[in-house]
Amino acid sequence: MIEWIVIAGLAAATLRVAAPLLLASLGETIAERGGMLNLGVQGAMLVGAFSGFMGAYFAGSLWLGLASAVIGGVLTTLLFGVLVINLDLDQVVSGLAINLLASGLTLYFTRVLFTGGVSPYLGDLFGPMPIPILSGIPFLGEVLFSQTGFVYLGLLSVPLIYVLLTKTTFGLRLRSIGEDPVIASYLGINVLKMRYAALLAEGVLAGLAGGMLTISMFNTFDPRIVAARGFVAVSIVILGRWNPWGALAGSLLFGFTEALSLRIGVIFPELSGASINQLFALLPYLVALIALVVGGRGVRGPASLGKRIGRER
Amino acid sequence: MGANQLTVSRGTKRSIVKALLSVALTLAVTSVVFLINNVNPVIAFIYLFQGAFGDINLLSETLIRMTPILIVSLGLAVSFKCKIWNIGAEGQLYIGAMLGTIVAIGIGGGFLSLVAALVIGAIGGLLWAAGPALMKVKLGINEVITTFLMNFVGIYLVQWMISYPFRSPDTYFPESAAIPSSSALAVILPGTRLHMGVALALALVPVVYFLLERTTFGFKVKVVGENPEAARYGGMAIGKTIFVSLIFSGLLAGLAGITEVMGIQFRVRGSLSPGYGFTGIVVALLGNNNPLGVALASLFLAAIMNGSSTLAWTMNIPMGIVDLMQGLLFIFVLASEPLVRLLERRGVLKL
Repeated sequence: MIEWIVIAGLAAATLRVAAPLLLASLGETIAERGGMLNLGVQGAMLVGAFSGFMGAYFAGSLWLGLASAVIGGVLTTLLFGVLVINLDLDQVVSGLAINLLASGLTLYFTRVLFTGGVSPYLGDLFGPMPIPILSGIPFLGEVLFSQTGFVYLGLLSVPLIYVLLTKTTFGLRLRSIGEDPVIASYLGINVLKMRYAALLAEGVLAGLAGGMLTISMFNTFDPRIVAARGFVAVSIVILGRWNPWGALAGSLLFGFTEALSLRIGVIFPELSGASINQLFALLPYLVALIALVVGGRGVRGPASLGKRIGRER
Repeated sequence: MGANQLTVSRGTKRSIVKALLSVALTLAVTSVVFLINNVNPVIAFIYLFQGAFGDINLLSETLIRMTPILIVSLGLAVSFKCKIWNIGAEGQLYIGAMLGTIVAIGIGGGFLSLVAALVIGAIGGLLWAAGPALMKVKLGINEVITTFLMNFVGIYLVQWMISYPFRSPDTYFPESAAIPSSSALAVILPGTRLHMGVALALALVPVVYFLLERTTFGFKVKVVGENPEAARYGGMAIGKTIFVSLIFSGLLAGLAGITEVMGIQFRVRGSLSPGYGFTGIVVALLGNNNPLGVALASLFLAAIMNGSSTLAWTMNIPMGIVDLMQGLLFIFVLASEPLVRLLERRGVLKL
C-alpha cells in the first residue's frame, strides 16, 4: 500500500517538473498559432537557463537573474524571427540552427567564465512560496499551494493565454495568420508585426522556462541542463492540439512521468538499488514518443505551420 | 575540381560561393571572439591549422576524426535531400556501436567478427531510424521531434547497457568490454592510428554520389524533396521514398558508430561520440548535400575539432570554440542563400 504522503510528494513533484514544460509549450502554442514551428524553443530555453544563471551569479540578485533569463529567451526567439520572418528561411532548419548556436554559445562561455567549465553554485534560489491559509489544506495544500512562483505563473498563464488566443482581436488576427498569412495580409493584418509579437511572448515564456531550471530548480548551470525539454514542449503542443488547456494536460503527463522516473525507488522500494532503476531515465522520452503515436496521428495544426511565405518566388 | 571548370553548372558555382561565404563569415565572427579573449586571430588560426595538419601524425588524427563525421553526414545528405530532417543520428550512432560491439565480442575475433559487427552496427542504426520513419509515413508525425527524442532513449539505453549487462568486468568506469584485437580495422599508415575506416568512409563518397545521381531512388529523393506536388502527379511512392531515405541515414549513422569502435576506440564508452550526429547536420548542409561537398565539409569540421585542442593548450582558448563555430556555421549556411541573392541583385556578384 503506497502511503498518502508518497502520493502527495509525487503529485507536488509532478507540478514542479511540469512547470518548465508548461511555460515553454504555452510559448510554443502562441508561436505555432501564428504559423511558426519554432524548434528553437529548445535553444531559447537553454539561453534563458544560461543568462538567468549568469545574471543571478554575477549581479548577485535572483531578480536580475530572472530579468536576464527573459531577455535571453526573447533575444533567441527574435533571432529566429529574423531568419524566418525577414529572410523567409525554412522554419525547421532555422530552429535547428538556433539550437546549435545556443548550445555552442553557452558551452563556450561557460568554459571561458569558469575554470574547468564547471559553473559554481548559487547561494540562493527562488524557493517554494506557500500561499497563506491555502497551503494548510491537507494534500491540496502541499500539492498546489506550496510551489514556487514559476509554477503559479505557469498555471495562471493557461487561462490567460487561452483568452488571449480565443477571445481577443490579437488572438483572432494571429490565428488567421496561422491559417493563411497571405490572405491575412490582404485583410490588412500586419503579418510581420504580429509574428514578432508572438515570438516576443514565446521568448518571455521560454526564457522563464529555462531560467527556472537554473535559478529555481537546480542552482547551477550545465550546458546539458535543458536536456530535450524544448522538443518535449513541441510534442506537447501537438498533443495539446495547439490549445493552452491541452498544453497543461500534456505538461502534467510528462511531469508525472519524469517525477515517477526520479522516484521509482521510493514508490517501489523493492526496485531501489536495482540496476533497472537507471533505465528509467529514458522513460519520459519514451512516453513522449508513445503519446505522439497514440495522440498525434492525423492531427492538423494551423494550415500555414512550418511553411515559408515565399514572397521571393 | 580545377580540371572541369567548364562543366561546373551555375547551381554548383552558387553552392560553392555560398559555402565559402559561410565559412568566411564564421571565421570573421570567430576572430572577433578571439579578439575579445585577447588573442590574435591570425596567430590563432595558424595554430589551428598546424594542430590539424602540422605533421603526418596530426594529419592522420584529423582524418581519423573525419571518418565518423563523413559517414554520418553522407547519410544525412540523402535524407536532407528528401527534406527529411533526421536529427537523431547521434542516438542511431550509439545504438549501432553498441549492437556491433556485442556481435564482435560474441563472435570472438577475426575477419568474420569485423564484417558481422559492421553489418549489424549499420542495421542497428537503421532500426533506430525505422521507428520515426514509420511514424512519419504512417501517422504523419514530424520526424524532427521523433528522431530527436529517440536520441535520448538510445543514449540512455546504451548508457545503461555499458553500466550493467555489458559492462567490462575489469575497468572502473562504465564501459563495454573491448572488441577482440583480431577483429579491429587494420591500421593503414604504420606509426599512426589511421585505420581502414577512413578508406571505407571515402569509398562511400562515390557510392552515395552514384545512389543520388544515377539511380531511380536518387531521382525520387530529389523530386520528393524539391517538388512533392510533382512527385504526387508523377505517381511516385512518396511515403516509401521518405521511409527509405530516413532509414538509409540511420544505416550510415550506425555504421559510423561501429566504425569508430572497430577502428579507434575498441569499446563503447559514454564519450564515444562528441556529437558527431549533430556535427553531421552542419556538414551535410555546408556541403549542400552533395557527397563531394560533404567530404570537403567534413574534413573542414574535423580540422577545426582537432586544431582547437592545440588552441586550447597554446592560447588558452576553451575547446567549446568548436561548438560555437559549428553553431555560427549553421546560421551562416542558412543566411548565405538570401545573402547571395542580395549580392546578385546589387550586381556585386555575377553567377
